[in-house]
Amino acid sequence: MSEPKISMADLEHIAKLARINLSESEKTTFLPQLESVLEYLDVLNQANVDNIEPTYRVNDQKNVLRNDEVVESFDQKTALSTAPKTQDGYFVVPGTIRK
Amino acid sequence: MDLKSLTISQIQELLFSKQISAVDIVKFYLQRIKKIDPQIKAFITITEKEALKQAEIIDSKIKKGESVGKLAGAVMAVKDIFLTKDIQTTASSQVLKDYLPQYSSTIYQKLIDEDAIIIGKTNTDPFAFGGSTENSGFFTTKNPWNLSKVPGGSSGGSAAAVAADLCQFALGTDTGGSIRLPASLCNISGLKPTYGLNSRYGITAMASSFDCPGVFAKNVADLALLTKITAGVDPKDATTIDNPVPDYSEILNNVDLKGLKIGLPKEYFIDPINTEVKEKVMAAAKLFQSKGAILVDISLPNTNLGIAVYYILVPSEISANMARYDGIRFGRNTDNNPDITSYYMNTRGQYMEAEVKRRILIGTYALSSGYYDAYYTKASKVRTLIKNEFTNALKEVDVILAPVSPTVAWDIGAKANDPLQMYLVDAFTVCINVAGVPSVALPCGFNQENLPIGFQLIGNFFEESKILSIANQYQQFTDYHLQTPKI
Repeated sequence: MSEPKISMADLEHIAKLARINLSESEKTTFLPQLESVLEYLDVLNQANVDNIEPTYRVNDQKNVLRNDEVVESFDQKTALSTAPKTQDGYFVVPGTIRK
Repeated sequence: MDLKSLTISQIQELLFSKQISAVDIVKFYLQRIKKIDPQIKAFITITEKEALKQAEIIDSKIKKGESVGKLAGAVMAVKDIFLTKDIQTTASSQVLKDYLPQYSSTIYQKLIDEDAIIIGKTNTDPFAFGGSTENSGFFTTKNPWNLSKVPGGSSGGSAAAVAADLCQFALGTDTGGSIRLPASLCNISGLKPTYGLNSRYGITAMASSFDCPGVFAKNVADLALLTKITAGVDPKDATTIDNPVPDYSEILNNVDLKGLKIGLPKEYFIDPINTEVKEKVMAAAKLFQSKGAILVDISLPNTNLGIAVYYILVPSEISANMARYDGIRFGRNTDNNPDITSYYMNTRGQYMEAEVKRRILIGTYALSSGYYDAYYTKASKVRTLIKNEFTNALKEVDVILAPVSPTVAWDIGAKANDPLQMYLVDAFTVCINVAGVPSVALPCGFNQENLPIGFQLIGNFFEESKILSIANQYQQFTDYHLQTPKI
Protein backbone atom coordinates (compact mmCIF):
# COMPACT_ATOMS: atom_id res chain seq x y z
CA MET A 1 0.00 0.00 0.00
CA SER A 2 1.28 3.41 -0.92
CA GLU A 3 0.79 6.44 1.32
CA PRO A 4 -2.76 7.76 1.33
CA LYS A 5 -3.17 10.78 -0.95
CA ILE A 6 -5.46 12.63 1.38
CA SER A 7 -5.73 12.66 5.19
CA MET A 8 -8.67 13.75 7.33
CA ALA A 9 -6.71 16.93 8.14
CA ASP A 10 -6.25 17.62 4.38
CA LEU A 11 -9.97 17.09 3.77
CA GLU A 12 -10.88 19.49 6.57
CA HIS A 13 -8.40 22.03 5.22
CA ILE A 14 -9.71 21.98 1.63
CA ALA A 15 -13.33 22.05 2.84
CA LYS A 16 -12.47 25.22 4.73
CA LEU A 17 -10.74 26.70 1.67
CA ALA A 18 -13.86 25.86 -0.38
CA ARG A 19 -16.11 27.33 2.33
CA ILE A 20 -18.15 24.16 2.75
CA ASN A 21 -19.20 22.97 6.18
CA LEU A 22 -19.02 19.14 6.25
CA SER A 23 -20.80 17.00 8.84
CA GLU A 24 -18.86 14.20 10.53
CA SER A 25 -20.73 11.60 8.47
CA GLU A 26 -19.96 13.46 5.23
CA LYS A 27 -16.28 13.52 6.17
CA THR A 28 -16.16 9.76 6.77
CA THR A 29 -18.05 9.11 3.51
CA PHE A 30 -16.05 11.51 1.35
CA LEU A 31 -12.56 10.61 2.57
CA PRO A 32 -12.35 7.09 1.03
CA GLN A 33 -14.26 8.27 -2.07
CA LEU A 34 -11.79 11.10 -2.70
CA GLU A 35 -8.90 8.75 -1.97
CA SER A 36 -10.06 6.32 -4.66
CA VAL A 37 -10.56 9.12 -7.20
CA LEU A 38 -7.11 10.57 -6.46
CA GLU A 39 -5.51 7.11 -6.74
CA TYR A 40 -7.20 6.65 -10.10
CA LEU A 41 -5.71 9.96 -11.30
CA ASP A 42 -2.23 8.40 -11.00
CA VAL A 43 -2.89 6.91 -14.45
CA LEU A 44 -1.60 10.27 -15.74
CA ASN A 45 1.91 9.28 -14.66
CA GLN A 46 1.94 7.05 -17.79
CA ALA A 47 1.87 10.10 -20.03
CA ASN A 48 5.06 11.63 -21.36
CA VAL A 49 4.46 15.37 -21.56
CA ASP A 50 8.04 16.55 -22.06
CA ASN A 51 8.04 19.63 -24.31
CA ILE A 52 4.24 19.64 -24.54
CA GLU A 53 2.46 22.96 -24.05
CA PRO A 54 -0.66 22.92 -21.87
CA THR A 55 -4.09 23.54 -23.44
CA TYR A 56 -6.31 25.93 -21.47
CA ARG A 57 -8.81 26.58 -24.23
CA VAL A 58 -9.57 24.50 -27.30
CA ASN A 59 -9.99 27.24 -29.87
CA ASP A 60 -7.42 29.83 -30.86
CA GLN A 61 -9.11 33.00 -29.67
CA LYS A 62 -7.00 35.70 -28.13
CA ASN A 63 -8.53 38.75 -26.48
CA VAL A 64 -12.13 39.32 -27.51
CA LEU A 65 -12.81 43.04 -27.24
CA ARG A 66 -15.96 45.10 -27.56
CA ASN A 67 -16.73 48.80 -27.60
CA ASP A 68 -17.25 50.33 -24.18
CA GLU A 69 -20.81 51.50 -24.61
CA VAL A 70 -23.54 52.31 -22.12
CA VAL A 71 -26.40 49.84 -22.57
CA GLU A 72 -29.63 49.29 -20.71
CA SER A 73 -29.38 46.95 -17.75
CA PHE A 74 -31.44 45.89 -14.72
CA ASP A 75 -32.87 48.55 -12.45
CA GLN A 76 -32.04 48.23 -8.75
CA LYS A 77 -35.26 46.42 -7.85
CA THR A 78 -34.76 43.78 -10.53
CA ALA A 79 -31.10 43.32 -9.68
CA LEU A 80 -31.95 42.67 -6.04
CA SER A 81 -35.01 40.51 -6.76
CA THR A 82 -33.23 37.17 -6.33
CA ALA A 83 -31.37 38.03 -3.12
CA PRO A 84 -32.51 36.23 0.03
CA LYS A 85 -32.11 39.38 2.14
CA THR A 86 -32.00 43.07 1.19
CA GLN A 87 -32.35 46.39 2.98
CA ASP A 88 -32.58 49.95 1.61
CA GLY A 89 -31.44 48.80 -1.83
CA TYR A 90 -28.48 46.76 -0.57
CA PHE A 91 -27.64 43.06 -0.22
CA VAL A 92 -27.52 42.11 3.46
CA VAL A 93 -24.60 40.05 4.80
CA PRO A 94 -23.40 39.34 8.35
CA GLY A 95 -20.78 41.74 9.72
CA THR A 96 -17.35 41.36 8.18
CA ILE A 97 -15.51 43.68 10.58
CA ARG A 98 -15.58 43.19 14.34
CA LYS A 99 -16.86 46.08 16.44
CA MET B 1 -55.56 13.80 -33.08
CA ASP B 2 -52.68 11.52 -32.09
CA LEU B 3 -49.50 13.52 -32.54
CA LYS B 4 -47.23 10.88 -31.06
CA SER B 5 -43.77 10.50 -32.58
CA LEU B 6 -44.16 13.34 -35.07
CA THR B 7 -41.07 15.30 -36.04
CA ILE B 8 -41.00 19.10 -36.11
CA SER B 9 -41.67 19.35 -39.85
CA GLN B 10 -44.53 16.81 -39.65
CA ILE B 11 -46.24 18.72 -36.86
CA GLN B 12 -45.76 22.01 -38.71
CA GLU B 13 -47.43 20.54 -41.78
CA LEU B 14 -50.53 19.85 -39.69
CA LEU B 15 -50.35 23.31 -38.13
CA PHE B 16 -49.91 25.27 -41.35
CA SER B 17 -52.61 23.30 -43.18
CA LYS B 18 -54.87 24.24 -40.25
CA GLN B 19 -55.66 20.62 -39.35
CA ILE B 20 -54.65 21.46 -35.79
CA SER B 21 -53.90 24.60 -33.81
CA ALA B 22 -50.86 25.36 -31.67
CA VAL B 23 -53.14 25.20 -28.63
CA ASP B 24 -54.18 21.64 -29.68
CA ILE B 25 -50.50 20.69 -29.88
CA VAL B 26 -49.76 22.08 -26.42
CA LYS B 27 -52.81 20.39 -24.93
CA PHE B 28 -51.76 17.07 -26.45
CA TYR B 29 -48.35 17.25 -24.77
CA LEU B 30 -49.73 18.56 -21.47
CA GLN B 31 -52.11 15.63 -21.38
CA ARG B 32 -49.33 13.15 -22.07
CA ILE B 33 -47.15 14.74 -19.40
CA LYS B 34 -49.95 14.49 -16.84
CA LYS B 35 -50.53 10.86 -17.71
CA ILE B 36 -46.98 9.61 -18.19
CA ASP B 37 -44.58 11.89 -16.34
CA PRO B 38 -45.55 10.69 -12.85
CA GLN B 39 -43.83 7.41 -13.84
CA ILE B 40 -40.86 8.93 -15.70
CA LYS B 41 -40.26 12.05 -13.60
CA ALA B 42 -38.57 13.96 -16.41
CA PHE B 43 -39.90 17.38 -15.38
CA ILE B 44 -39.18 19.57 -12.37
CA THR B 45 -41.48 22.36 -13.57
CA ILE B 46 -44.32 22.14 -16.09
CA THR B 47 -44.91 25.52 -17.75
CA GLU B 48 -48.56 25.03 -18.68
CA LYS B 49 -49.49 28.72 -18.47
CA GLU B 50 -46.55 29.95 -20.55
CA ALA B 51 -47.04 27.19 -23.15
CA LEU B 52 -50.73 27.94 -23.67
CA LYS B 53 -50.03 31.67 -23.88
CA GLN B 54 -47.33 31.18 -26.51
CA ALA B 55 -49.61 28.83 -28.45
CA GLU B 56 -52.45 31.36 -28.48
CA ILE B 57 -50.13 34.03 -29.87
CA ILE B 58 -48.98 31.67 -32.65
CA ASP B 59 -52.57 30.70 -33.48
CA SER B 60 -53.60 34.32 -33.70
CA LYS B 61 -50.68 35.11 -36.03
CA ILE B 62 -51.66 32.20 -38.29
CA LYS B 63 -55.30 33.28 -38.23
CA LYS B 64 -54.37 36.80 -39.28
CA GLY B 65 -52.06 35.50 -41.99
CA GLU B 66 -48.98 36.98 -40.27
CA SER B 67 -45.62 35.29 -40.57
CA VAL B 68 -44.56 32.91 -37.80
CA GLY B 69 -41.17 31.72 -36.58
CA LYS B 70 -39.33 28.72 -38.03
CA LEU B 71 -40.25 26.61 -34.99
CA ALA B 72 -43.92 27.54 -34.71
CA GLY B 73 -45.73 24.63 -33.10
CA ALA B 74 -42.59 22.84 -31.94
CA VAL B 75 -42.80 21.98 -28.25
CA MET B 76 -39.58 21.92 -26.24
CA ALA B 77 -38.37 20.80 -22.85
CA VAL B 78 -35.48 22.73 -21.32
CA LYS B 79 -32.81 21.32 -19.02
CA ASP B 80 -33.18 23.13 -15.73
CA ILE B 81 -29.71 24.66 -15.86
CA PHE B 82 -30.81 27.04 -18.66
CA LEU B 83 -32.02 30.32 -17.15
CA THR B 84 -35.58 31.09 -18.20
CA LYS B 85 -36.83 34.57 -17.27
CA ASP B 86 -39.52 34.46 -14.56
CA ILE B 87 -39.69 30.63 -14.74
CA GLN B 88 -38.20 28.69 -11.83
CA THR B 89 -34.67 27.52 -12.63
CA THR B 90 -33.25 25.13 -10.02
CA ALA B 91 -30.29 23.46 -11.75
CA SER B 92 -31.79 20.40 -9.95
CA SER B 93 -30.15 21.61 -6.78
CA GLN B 94 -31.61 22.64 -3.43
CA VAL B 95 -29.21 25.60 -3.70
CA LEU B 96 -31.41 27.28 -6.33
CA LYS B 97 -34.87 26.02 -5.33
CA ASP B 98 -37.46 28.76 -6.10
CA TYR B 99 -34.89 30.86 -8.02
CA LEU B 100 -36.63 33.08 -10.60
CA PRO B 101 -34.03 34.41 -13.05
CA GLN B 102 -34.24 38.02 -14.27
CA TYR B 103 -33.01 37.05 -17.74
CA SER B 104 -32.93 34.12 -20.17
CA SER B 105 -30.10 32.10 -21.65
CA THR B 106 -29.20 33.05 -25.22
CA ILE B 107 -29.97 29.83 -27.05
CA TYR B 108 -33.26 29.29 -25.22
CA GLN B 109 -34.25 32.84 -26.21
CA LYS B 110 -33.24 32.22 -29.85
CA LEU B 111 -35.58 29.21 -29.96
CA ILE B 112 -38.42 31.16 -28.30
CA ASP B 113 -37.89 33.99 -30.81
CA GLU B 114 -38.57 31.41 -33.55
CA ASP B 115 -41.86 30.51 -31.82
CA ALA B 116 -40.74 27.29 -30.14
CA ILE B 117 -43.02 26.60 -27.16
CA ILE B 118 -41.60 25.77 -23.72
CA ILE B 119 -43.53 22.95 -22.02
CA GLY B 120 -41.33 22.54 -18.96
CA LYS B 121 -37.95 22.41 -17.24
CA THR B 122 -36.28 19.03 -16.94
CA ASN B 123 -34.41 17.14 -14.27
CA THR B 124 -30.63 16.73 -14.37
CA ASP B 125 -27.85 15.90 -11.98
CA PRO B 126 -27.36 19.06 -9.89
CA PHE B 127 -25.60 21.73 -11.96
CA ALA B 128 -25.12 18.88 -14.51
CA PHE B 129 -22.66 17.02 -12.23
CA GLY B 130 -23.31 13.36 -12.96
CA GLY B 131 -24.19 10.69 -15.50
CA SER B 132 -27.58 9.35 -14.40
CA THR B 133 -29.77 12.09 -12.77
CA GLU B 134 -29.40 10.18 -9.48
CA ASN B 135 -27.46 13.10 -7.99
CA SER B 136 -30.42 15.46 -8.53
CA GLY B 137 -31.46 17.37 -5.43
CA PHE B 138 -35.10 16.45 -6.17
CA PHE B 139 -35.59 12.97 -7.65
CA THR B 140 -34.23 10.43 -10.15
CA THR B 141 -35.62 10.32 -13.70
CA LYS B 142 -36.56 6.85 -15.02
CA ASN B 143 -35.60 5.45 -18.40
CA PRO B 144 -38.80 5.25 -20.51
CA TRP B 145 -37.59 1.94 -21.99
CA ASN B 146 -37.40 0.31 -18.56
CA LEU B 147 -38.45 2.18 -15.46
CA SER B 148 -35.94 0.37 -13.25
CA LYS B 149 -33.03 1.77 -15.32
CA VAL B 150 -31.35 5.18 -15.34
CA PRO B 151 -31.92 7.43 -18.39
CA GLY B 152 -28.25 8.46 -18.37
CA GLY B 153 -27.17 11.97 -17.57
CA SER B 154 -26.67 14.56 -16.78
CA SER B 155 -29.39 15.76 -19.22
CA GLY B 156 -31.48 12.68 -18.38
CA GLY B 157 -34.77 14.53 -17.92
CA SER B 158 -34.51 16.13 -21.36
CA ALA B 159 -33.62 12.82 -23.04
CA ALA B 160 -36.40 10.91 -21.25
CA ALA B 161 -38.93 13.63 -22.17
CA VAL B 162 -38.09 13.33 -25.89
CA ALA B 163 -37.98 9.51 -25.78
CA ALA B 164 -41.36 9.29 -23.99
CA ASP B 165 -42.80 11.83 -26.43
CA LEU B 166 -43.55 14.41 -23.77
CA CYS B 167 -42.15 17.10 -26.10
CA GLN B 168 -40.74 17.28 -29.61
CA PHE B 169 -37.22 18.33 -28.80
CA ALA B 170 -35.18 19.36 -25.80
CA LEU B 171 -32.21 21.43 -24.72
CA GLY B 172 -29.28 19.84 -22.93
CA THR B 173 -25.62 20.46 -22.23
CA ASP B 174 -22.63 18.19 -22.83
CA THR B 175 -19.53 18.80 -20.68
CA GLY B 176 -18.29 15.19 -20.67
CA GLY B 177 -21.06 13.26 -22.42
CA SER B 178 -24.23 14.70 -20.86
CA ILE B 179 -26.12 14.93 -24.16
CA ARG B 180 -24.72 11.90 -25.98
CA LEU B 181 -24.92 9.44 -23.07
CA PRO B 182 -28.63 9.95 -22.26
CA ALA B 183 -29.48 10.19 -25.98
CA SER B 184 -27.85 6.81 -26.45
CA LEU B 185 -29.49 5.17 -23.41
CA CYS B 186 -32.94 6.54 -24.40
CA ASN B 187 -32.84 5.86 -28.18
CA ILE B 188 -32.93 9.45 -29.44
CA SER B 189 -30.55 11.70 -31.38
CA GLY B 190 -28.35 14.34 -29.75
CA LEU B 191 -25.65 16.76 -30.87
CA LYS B 192 -22.66 17.86 -28.85
CA PRO B 193 -21.47 20.74 -31.03
CA THR B 194 -17.95 22.12 -31.37
CA TYR B 195 -16.96 24.13 -28.30
CA GLY B 196 -17.92 27.73 -29.09
CA LEU B 197 -20.69 26.98 -31.63
CA ASN B 198 -23.60 27.50 -29.19
CA SER B 199 -23.52 30.28 -26.62
CA ARG B 200 -23.10 29.34 -22.96
CA TYR B 201 -24.62 32.64 -21.78
CA GLY B 202 -27.31 32.21 -19.14
CA ILE B 203 -26.57 28.57 -18.37
CA THR B 204 -25.28 27.70 -14.89
CA ALA B 205 -21.55 27.24 -15.48
CA MET B 206 -19.95 23.88 -14.79
CA ALA B 207 -16.55 23.80 -16.52
CA SER B 208 -16.31 26.85 -18.73
CA SER B 209 -13.66 25.49 -21.12
CA PHE B 210 -15.72 22.29 -21.70
CA ASP B 211 -19.43 23.18 -21.50
CA CYS B 212 -21.33 22.69 -24.80
CA PRO B 213 -25.06 23.36 -24.93
CA GLY B 214 -26.94 21.42 -27.62
CA VAL B 215 -30.19 19.78 -28.65
CA PHE B 216 -31.97 16.42 -28.44
CA ALA B 217 -34.53 15.41 -31.07
CA LYS B 218 -36.31 12.43 -32.56
CA ASN B 219 -34.09 12.44 -35.61
CA VAL B 220 -31.00 14.02 -37.11
CA ALA B 221 -32.97 16.21 -39.53
CA ASP B 222 -34.53 17.99 -36.55
CA LEU B 223 -31.10 18.41 -34.93
CA ALA B 224 -29.98 20.16 -38.13
CA LEU B 225 -33.00 22.48 -38.17
CA LEU B 226 -32.52 23.41 -34.50
CA THR B 227 -28.76 23.86 -34.63
CA LYS B 228 -29.09 26.36 -37.46
CA ILE B 229 -31.10 28.48 -35.00
CA THR B 230 -29.03 27.97 -31.82
CA ALA B 231 -25.58 28.36 -33.39
CA GLY B 232 -23.58 31.52 -33.82
CA VAL B 233 -21.55 34.22 -32.17
CA ASP B 234 -22.96 35.84 -29.03
CA PRO B 235 -21.46 39.07 -27.66
CA LYS B 236 -22.41 37.79 -24.20
CA ASP B 237 -20.20 34.68 -24.53
CA ALA B 238 -16.69 35.68 -25.60
CA THR B 239 -15.80 32.06 -26.41
CA THR B 240 -18.37 31.78 -29.22
CA ILE B 241 -16.80 31.90 -32.67
CA ASP B 242 -17.80 34.35 -35.38
CA ASN B 243 -18.08 31.83 -38.22
CA PRO B 244 -20.96 31.92 -40.70
CA VAL B 245 -23.58 29.32 -39.68
CA PRO B 246 -24.38 26.96 -42.56
CA ASP B 247 -27.97 25.96 -43.31
CA TYR B 248 -27.49 22.43 -41.95
CA SER B 249 -30.91 21.28 -43.21
CA GLU B 250 -30.12 22.26 -46.80
CA ILE B 251 -26.95 20.20 -46.90
CA LEU B 252 -28.14 17.13 -45.03
CA ASN B 253 -27.40 14.75 -47.89
CA ASN B 254 -24.30 16.46 -49.22
CA VAL B 255 -21.65 14.04 -47.98
CA ASP B 256 -21.09 11.21 -50.42
CA LEU B 257 -20.81 7.92 -48.54
CA LYS B 258 -18.96 6.37 -51.47
CA GLY B 259 -15.26 6.52 -50.65
CA LEU B 260 -15.90 8.18 -47.29
CA LYS B 261 -13.13 7.19 -44.88
CA ILE B 262 -14.56 6.20 -41.50
CA GLY B 263 -12.05 5.72 -38.69
CA LEU B 264 -12.70 3.06 -36.05
CA PRO B 265 -10.51 3.82 -33.02
CA LYS B 266 -9.44 0.49 -31.52
CA GLU B 267 -9.40 1.95 -27.98
CA TYR B 268 -13.19 2.40 -28.18
CA PHE B 269 -13.91 -1.24 -28.98
CA ILE B 270 -12.10 -2.89 -26.07
CA ASP B 271 -12.80 -3.34 -22.34
CA PRO B 272 -15.03 -1.99 -20.75
CA ILE B 273 -17.28 -2.36 -23.83
CA ASN B 274 -20.17 -4.81 -23.60
CA THR B 275 -20.34 -7.45 -26.37
CA GLU B 276 -23.84 -6.57 -27.59
CA VAL B 277 -22.94 -2.85 -27.74
CA LYS B 278 -19.84 -3.65 -29.75
CA GLU B 279 -21.81 -5.84 -32.18
CA LYS B 280 -24.45 -3.20 -32.87
CA VAL B 281 -21.94 -0.38 -33.29
CA MET B 282 -19.86 -2.52 -35.65
CA ALA B 283 -23.04 -3.32 -37.58
CA ALA B 284 -23.58 0.43 -38.06
CA ALA B 285 -20.02 0.73 -39.42
CA LYS B 286 -20.65 -2.23 -41.75
CA LEU B 287 -23.81 -0.58 -43.05
CA PHE B 288 -21.77 2.46 -44.11
CA GLN B 289 -19.28 0.06 -45.71
CA SER B 290 -22.07 -1.55 -47.72
CA LYS B 291 -22.92 1.94 -49.04
CA GLY B 292 -19.38 2.43 -50.28
CA ALA B 293 -17.59 3.88 -47.24
CA ILE B 294 -14.10 2.66 -46.37
CA LEU B 295 -13.53 1.49 -42.79
CA VAL B 296 -10.08 2.38 -41.46
CA ASP B 297 -8.63 1.04 -38.20
CA ILE B 298 -7.13 3.93 -36.28
CA SER B 299 -5.64 4.45 -32.83
CA LEU B 300 -6.20 7.20 -30.28
CA PRO B 301 -3.61 5.92 -27.78
CA ASN B 302 -4.28 8.36 -24.95
CA THR B 303 -7.99 7.51 -24.71
CA ASN B 304 -7.46 5.76 -21.37
CA LEU B 305 -6.21 9.06 -19.88
CA GLY B 306 -9.37 10.97 -20.78
CA ILE B 307 -11.28 10.36 -17.55
CA ALA B 308 -8.28 11.39 -15.43
CA VAL B 309 -7.73 14.60 -17.43
CA TYR B 310 -11.43 15.34 -17.20
CA TYR B 311 -11.70 14.71 -13.44
CA ILE B 312 -8.83 17.09 -12.75
CA LEU B 313 -9.64 19.95 -15.11
CA VAL B 314 -13.44 19.90 -14.78
CA PRO B 315 -13.56 19.88 -10.94
CA SER B 316 -10.90 22.62 -10.96
CA GLU B 317 -13.11 24.80 -13.14
CA ILE B 318 -16.13 23.76 -11.05
CA SER B 319 -14.49 24.82 -7.80
CA ALA B 320 -14.00 28.31 -9.27
CA ASN B 321 -17.44 28.55 -10.91
CA MET B 322 -19.32 27.34 -7.84
CA ALA B 323 -17.83 30.10 -5.67
CA ARG B 324 -20.69 32.33 -6.84
CA TYR B 325 -23.20 30.33 -4.76
CA ASP B 326 -22.60 32.33 -1.62
CA GLY B 327 -26.24 32.79 -0.58
CA ILE B 328 -26.03 36.57 -0.96
CA ARG B 329 -27.16 37.57 -4.45
CA PHE B 330 -29.25 34.49 -5.30
CA GLY B 331 -29.97 31.01 -4.01
CA ARG B 332 -30.99 29.96 -0.54
CA ASN B 333 -29.22 31.09 2.60
CA THR B 334 -28.97 30.24 6.31
CA ASP B 335 -29.73 32.43 9.29
CA ASN B 336 -28.08 33.19 12.63
CA ASN B 337 -24.48 33.12 11.44
CA PRO B 338 -22.10 35.15 13.60
CA ASP B 339 -19.81 36.15 10.71
CA ILE B 340 -19.49 36.04 6.92
CA THR B 341 -17.28 32.93 6.85
CA SER B 342 -19.78 30.86 8.79
CA TYR B 343 -22.55 32.30 6.57
CA TYR B 344 -20.76 30.89 3.49
CA MET B 345 -19.82 27.60 5.13
CA ASN B 346 -23.24 26.86 6.60
CA THR B 347 -25.16 27.95 3.50
CA ARG B 348 -23.02 25.89 1.13
CA GLY B 349 -22.83 22.99 3.60
CA GLN B 350 -26.59 22.86 4.05
CA TYR B 351 -27.86 23.09 0.46
CA MET B 352 -25.17 21.68 -1.85
CA GLU B 353 -25.74 18.04 -2.81
CA ALA B 354 -23.03 15.45 -2.03
CA GLU B 355 -21.73 15.29 -5.62
CA VAL B 356 -21.54 19.09 -5.80
CA LYS B 357 -19.42 19.10 -2.65
CA ARG B 358 -17.22 16.22 -3.85
CA ARG B 359 -16.40 17.93 -7.13
CA ILE B 360 -15.64 21.27 -5.48
CA LEU B 361 -13.38 19.45 -3.00
CA ILE B 362 -11.52 17.52 -5.73
CA GLY B 363 -11.01 20.77 -7.67
CA THR B 364 -9.90 22.70 -4.61
CA TYR B 365 -7.43 19.92 -3.80
CA ALA B 366 -6.06 19.82 -7.38
CA LEU B 367 -5.56 23.60 -7.43
CA SER B 368 -4.16 23.90 -3.92
CA SER B 369 -0.60 24.84 -3.09
CA GLY B 370 1.86 22.02 -3.74
CA TYR B 371 -0.47 20.00 -6.01
CA TYR B 372 -1.15 22.46 -8.82
CA ASP B 373 1.65 21.33 -11.16
CA ALA B 374 1.17 17.63 -10.49
CA TYR B 375 -2.52 17.79 -11.28
CA TYR B 376 -3.73 20.87 -13.16
CA THR B 377 -0.66 21.59 -15.27
CA LYS B 378 -0.04 17.92 -16.04
CA ALA B 379 -3.67 17.33 -17.05
CA SER B 380 -3.64 20.46 -19.24
CA LYS B 381 -0.61 19.08 -21.09
CA VAL B 382 -2.25 15.68 -21.59
CA ARG B 383 -5.25 17.64 -22.89
CA THR B 384 -2.95 18.87 -25.67
CA LEU B 385 -1.98 15.27 -26.50
CA ILE B 386 -5.62 14.17 -26.69
CA LYS B 387 -6.65 17.15 -28.80
CA ASN B 388 -3.75 16.57 -31.23
CA GLU B 389 -4.65 12.90 -31.45
CA PHE B 390 -8.11 13.79 -32.75
CA THR B 391 -6.99 16.48 -35.21
CA ASN B 392 -4.23 14.21 -36.54
CA ALA B 393 -6.57 11.23 -36.91
CA LEU B 394 -9.05 13.46 -38.74
CA LYS B 395 -6.38 14.25 -41.33
CA GLU B 396 -6.26 10.53 -42.18
CA VAL B 397 -10.00 9.83 -42.06
CA ASP B 398 -13.11 11.93 -42.76
CA VAL B 399 -14.99 11.01 -39.62
CA ILE B 400 -14.57 8.81 -36.52
CA LEU B 401 -17.22 6.26 -35.54
CA ALA B 402 -17.40 4.94 -31.97
CA PRO B 403 -19.84 3.67 -29.35
CA VAL B 404 -21.28 6.30 -26.96
CA SER B 405 -21.63 4.23 -23.80
CA PRO B 406 -19.73 1.02 -22.99
CA THR B 407 -23.02 -0.49 -21.75
CA VAL B 408 -26.78 -0.13 -22.08
CA ALA B 409 -28.75 1.66 -19.33
CA TRP B 410 -27.93 0.27 -15.89
CA ASP B 411 -30.11 -0.28 -12.80
CA ILE B 412 -31.01 2.74 -10.73
CA GLY B 413 -28.79 2.62 -7.65
CA ALA B 414 -26.15 0.29 -9.12
CA LYS B 415 -23.37 2.91 -9.20
CA ALA B 416 -24.88 5.60 -7.00
CA ASN B 417 -22.58 5.03 -4.01
CA ASP B 418 -19.34 4.74 -5.93
CA PRO B 419 -18.38 8.06 -7.54
CA LEU B 420 -15.43 6.56 -9.44
CA GLN B 421 -17.59 3.87 -11.11
CA MET B 422 -20.05 6.59 -12.07
CA TYR B 423 -17.24 8.71 -13.57
CA LEU B 424 -16.14 5.77 -15.74
CA VAL B 425 -19.48 5.61 -17.62
CA ASP B 426 -18.14 8.53 -19.67
CA ALA B 427 -15.08 6.57 -20.83
CA PHE B 428 -16.07 6.88 -24.52
CA THR B 429 -17.43 10.44 -24.43
CA VAL B 430 -15.06 12.62 -22.38
CA CYS B 431 -12.12 12.75 -24.80
CA ILE B 432 -14.32 14.49 -27.37
CA ASN B 433 -14.95 17.26 -24.80
CA VAL B 434 -11.29 17.37 -23.80
CA ALA B 435 -10.49 17.98 -27.50
CA GLY B 436 -13.46 20.30 -28.16
CA VAL B 437 -14.60 18.64 -31.42
CA PRO B 438 -18.26 17.93 -32.37
CA SER B 439 -20.03 14.59 -32.10
CA VAL B 440 -23.54 13.43 -32.93
CA ALA B 441 -25.09 10.47 -31.09
CA LEU B 442 -27.82 8.35 -32.67
CA PRO B 443 -29.55 4.99 -32.15
CA CYS B 444 -28.21 1.77 -33.78
CA GLY B 445 -30.12 -1.08 -32.18
CA PHE B 446 -31.24 -2.83 -29.01
CA ASN B 447 -29.82 -5.51 -26.77
CA GLN B 448 -31.70 -8.71 -25.86
CA GLU B 449 -33.54 -6.90 -23.05
CA ASN B 450 -34.77 -4.32 -25.59
CA LEU B 451 -32.56 -1.55 -24.17
CA PRO B 452 -31.27 1.00 -26.68
CA ILE B 453 -27.70 1.17 -28.02
CA GLY B 454 -26.21 4.23 -29.70
CA PHE B 455 -23.12 5.26 -31.61
CA GLN B 456 -21.41 8.58 -32.27
CA LEU B 457 -19.87 10.22 -35.31
CA ILE B 458 -17.03 12.58 -34.43
CA GLY B 459 -15.82 15.30 -36.79
CA ASN B 460 -13.13 17.97 -36.77
CA PHE B 461 -13.76 21.49 -35.39
CA PHE B 462 -16.95 23.03 -36.85
CA GLU B 463 -17.69 20.02 -39.05
CA GLU B 464 -21.28 19.74 -37.79
CA SER B 465 -22.51 19.78 -41.44
CA LYS B 466 -20.47 16.71 -42.24
CA ILE B 467 -21.39 14.58 -39.23
CA LEU B 468 -25.06 15.55 -39.41
CA SER B 469 -25.15 14.63 -43.10
CA ILE B 470 -23.60 11.21 -42.49
CA ALA B 471 -25.89 10.58 -39.49
CA ASN B 472 -28.97 11.67 -41.44
CA GLN B 473 -28.18 9.23 -44.25
CA TYR B 474 -27.83 6.44 -41.67
CA GLN B 475 -31.37 7.22 -40.48
CA GLN B 476 -32.65 6.96 -44.05
CA PHE B 477 -31.36 3.38 -44.23
CA THR B 478 -32.46 2.31 -40.73
CA ASP B 479 -35.50 2.58 -38.48
CA TYR B 480 -33.96 2.24 -34.99
CA HIS B 481 -34.66 5.94 -34.33
CA LEU B 482 -38.35 5.36 -35.10
CA GLN B 483 -38.75 2.79 -32.31
CA THR B 484 -40.49 4.16 -29.25
CA PRO B 485 -40.88 2.78 -25.71
CA LYS B 486 -44.16 1.12 -24.72
CA ILE B 487 -45.46 3.45 -22.06
